[in-house]
Amino acid sequence: MSYKNKLLPLLSGFAFLLVLFAFIRMLFFTPVEQTMGLVQKVFYFHMSAAWVGMLAFLASAVFGLLYLSRKDLKWDTLTAASVEVGLLFTVICIISGMIWARPIWNTWWTWDPRLTTVTIMAFTYIAFMLLRRGVDNPIRRARFSAIYAIVGFLSVPLTFFSARLLRTIHPVVFGGGETDMNLNPQMLVTLFISLGAFTVLYVALLLHRARLMAQQEELNQLQAAADGSYDWGA
Amino acid sequence: MRAWLHSVRVLVWKDLLQEWRSRDIVTSMLAFAVLSLFIFNYALELSPINRAEIAPGIIWVVMVFAGTLGLNRSFTAEQDQGCFEGLMMAVPDLSAIYFAKLLTNMLMMIFLAVLVIPIYSLLYNQSLFNWAFLGVLGLGAWGYSAAGTLISSMTVQTRMRDLLLPVLLFPLLLPVNMAVVKSCGVLLGTVAGQDIRGWLNLLLVYDAVVTTLSLLVFEYVIQE
Repeated sequence: MSYKNKLLPLLSGFAFLLVLFAFIRMLFFTPVEQTMGLVQKVFYFHMSAAWVGMLAFLASAVFGLLYLSRKDLKWDTLTAASVEVGLLFTVICIISGMIWARPIWNTWWTWDPRLTTVTIMAFTYIAFMLLRRGVDNPIRRARFSAIYAIVGFLSVPLTFFSARLLRTIHPVVFGGGETDMNLNPQMLVTLFISLGAFTVLYVALLLHRARLMAQQEELNQLQAAADGSYDWGA
Repeated sequence: MRAWLHSVRVLVWKDLLQEWRSRDIVTSMLAFAVLSLFIFNYALELSPINRAEIAPGIIWVVMVFAGTLGLNRSFTAEQDQGCFEGLMMAVPDLSAIYFAKLLTNMLMMIFLAVLVIPIYSLLYNQSLFNWAFLGVLGLGAWGYSAAGTLISSMTVQTRMRDLLLPVLLFPLLLPVNMAVVKSCGVLLGTVAGQDIRGWLNLLLVYDAVVTTLSLLVFEYVIQE
């Protein structure tokens, strides 16, 4: 991974402006929902964060597959970076959901299938990070990470379909039949802008994190070379 | 294919024979399971009414926790004796090792269930003898062992070993846990009769998907 990348600052700036634009549009140029009121506005970022979380986990499984077939540590770095960014957005999704649930469901938390599956999904990827900490050999760590990212991805479709297949009180945004949210066109436009903004933000964060990880790894190797104690086999 | 099946059979026989000679794992699993039943008794203050409702949940949780003891040991014999390389050379395909360990772990889980269910029935005076119930537990044991064998083959090579197994495994088991507990509740008549086909389908799909995925990736776990 190259450290000097002229496009990355541009991409980061673009992501920042897009998120800002989505935020302003959401606050001032999107109608207030009739029954839920202002708190409904958290929904735009909530769903965007959920989307990016799942996208990031999908990407980590794909990067894992690429690592197993190509054996290039670059893909391992991307797998780990994508999981970290995805986890961040999943936590944002859970917290923003709780903020919405408090006035609407009158509780911060309820044992609904959607809430349970998304939290278990987060735990799967927390476990992923613990697994990485437990393996010192970089090659073995890369193999195990790739495998766990692929197997752990099973929790993502489960989370996605939980609100559609199981009995749940969580709203379904698209194609939910009776429980469909029926957003008006203005709201839909805002939703798609925030989805796009968060996606660009994800790509920027992923590249930053991967770059930082690659630098960290190189620093470790330099330090090890300096005191001659780096143990490759451990 | 025939060589593959043959080596699976030999490996399962080897593991079961080894376990039969020492009986280390099964005895600790059983002791742990029975002790857990007693802890549940105090923790949940099991009155006859709510006890009937949560029986499948308790049986399954006890099996899951006791099962981790077995999973933790399933690769340590080879690891500690340093005969993993020999094993890898002896089989026609590395996936045979995975499949044999899966079957061994699953058989131990089912054996545990066969022992724990009568003990539970005796202690709580509630008959749990029901072939469909045992069948669902068997399917659950398959899914549990399919995921567990893959994860334990990784954790045995990590620094934290036993510590890491439940943390990595339990999140992956969510579909199995949901499906087993929900459908067993219906089968035992403790939860109002719903259609359990959806849960059974989920369980079967999970078992098939995890087994296939693991067979495909297992060689990357053990091959340096």
